[in-house]
Amino acid sequence: MAHAPNRAIAVEPAPVHEPQPKPSRASLRGLDGFVFFVADVQTGFGPFIAVYLTAQAWTQLDIGVILSVGGLAALAGQIPGGAIVDAARSERMVAGIAIVLIGLSALSLAIWPIYPVVLAAAVVHALASCALGPAMAAISLGLVGHPGIGERLGRNARFASIGNGMAAGAMGMAGYLLSNRSVFIVTALLVIPALLMLVRIRGDEIDIARAHGGVLAAPRTGRRLSDLWHLGAQRPFLVLAAGIALFHLANASMLPIMARIVTTRAGDWATVLIAACIVVPQIMVALVSPWVGRQAQLIGRRPLLILALSALVLRGALFTFVRDPVLLVIIQALDGVAAAGVGVMVPLVVADVTRGTGHFNLALGMMGTAIGLGASVSTTVSGYITDHYGSAAAFAGLAFAAALSLLWMWSMMPETRPRAGIAPEP
Amino acid sequence: MTLIFGLLVATSAAAGAADIVAQESPPTTPPQSSPAPEPSAVVIDKQYAQGLLGKEVRSAANEDMGRVVDVIVDRSGGVRAAIIDFGGFLGVGSRKIAVDWSVLNFSAIADKRSVVLLALTRDQVKAAPEYKDGKPIVVLGAAGSLNPLPPLDPDQRPAK
Repeated sequence: MAHAPNRAIAVEPAPVHEPQPKPSRASLRGLDGFVFFVADVQTGFGPFIAVYLTAQAWTQLDIGVILSVGGLAALAGQIPGGAIVDAARSERMVAGIAIVLIGLSALSLAIWPIYPVVLAAAVVHALASCALGPAMAAISLGLVGHPGIGERLGRNARFASIGNGMAAGAMGMAGYLLSNRSVFIVTALLVIPALLMLVRIRGDEIDIARAHGGVLAAPRTGRRLSDLWHLGAQRPFLVLAAGIALFHLANASMLPIMARIVTTRAGDWATVLIAACIVVPQIMVALVSPWVGRQAQLIGRRPLLILALSALVLRGALFTFVRDPVLLVIIQALDGVAAAGVGVMVPLVVADVTRGTGHFNLALGMMGTAIGLGASVSTTVSGYITDHYGSAAAFAGLAFAAALSLLWMWSMMPETRPRAGIAPEP
Repeated sequence: MTLIFGLLVATSAAAGAADIVAQESPPTTPPQSSPAPEPSAVVIDKQYAQGLLGKEVRSAANEDMGRVVDVIVDRSGGVRAAIIDFGGFLGVGSRKIAVDWSVLNFSAIADKRSVVLLALTRDQVKAAPEYKDGKPIVVLGAAGSLNPLPPLDPDQRPAK
């Protein structure tokens, strides 16, 4: 089964044999734990903020403003966040400051739910997250290097989704049994174990040049803007950015629309079913993402991207027709497949194409911007279609967008796995 | 099936509303002051009245029915409906639904539970059309008049 490796292009003159670093067990377990607790902390933010502020007698208009400002800050902060991580001397320091800032945001939300504080907390959380994401990727790359990054990203995705899934369950319970406010206090407290895990990662094992994707880097020219341009002009990078923006355009509003349908149909069970719709994909990601990471090193990135996008197309198409709430939950497992595939492949391909440039994290920030744009268009477009033509039409539209992204990747995306990898000879 | 199109699309009415007689709190509204420059002030004890926004809504069977997020008033100053944010998990999947003012009971608003009681069940509320700002408002009425509101009503004319 010779699977057309003729698409593989050498992005960098890269068949240099990078020695495989051997980070200590403590560092690797520390990273596992850090990724896990960061995911816990991030779960409290997001749609739950609206629930909390509603209970604090906020008007829907004010809540909308807060969410929009937070969303804009998250979009605008991606590229600067990546650039900061690229320029940083210590990735652990950046990650530590970011998670502390996020914890302080959660704490101030819990203590003073008044307008200026909440607005500031939303902006600080958004900006800190913009640095935290690339910083975790940089720590990973700095620890294991390019030869091990596929497997490591798979492992990160596993721990992140275990964290997300468990936190969603725990915070649902805390909100139900204690109070909405307790959710943010728990969130703030979870920063402490996150920091303890971060400290376990040995700083001297994170190779700074490697963390920025710059093992083969030539000396810095200092012309940052032209660096940015070169990065943006890389064809695989652009193809991926466009395809992934389209993916998120199709993906981002599927769960919210579906959850509202479950609310209309399921009555008493709706809350449990929606919780399942959130947790089931996380379990799926936890199960398959290490496999995805390993396969990416063996068979390449392209087939796995195609698999992930196909899962989204199928999910959108099934949502268009399926009415039974329980079946909807089962279909949600496909969300896990898509999320694992895209979640591992995007940073991996970015690591491939930025190898030797020293701009791994900046490129991640650019990719994050594309994702954010796709996701925000998704909500607007699907909201419009749902209002005018109903939810089935919205799902059909989203499935169509997913099919477009699949077609785009299928026809345009080259394989970016370095040829002289661990893989068997073609 | 009584659908009145206009500023409000209200499903009337008091058919089965005998069991949900709203108990209005005792204090009367302050008398509209005459042209005198000094407005009158009335002190209402907190055990009689409370702010409404963000209050939890519960059904007779103590089911969680969401929270009050807005109140709909008409041009004559009458309170027509409350908007509740219903359902969902951690903010995902909740829907805003307008319920008729008459199916709400505020007797528990100022006690320890501080909740608004709704004389409908989750099953009765779940399929109601969603409230959208700037669109005609479909108000969910008393238990007896639920059927007039199918989930999909294609004959919803724009108000303008």
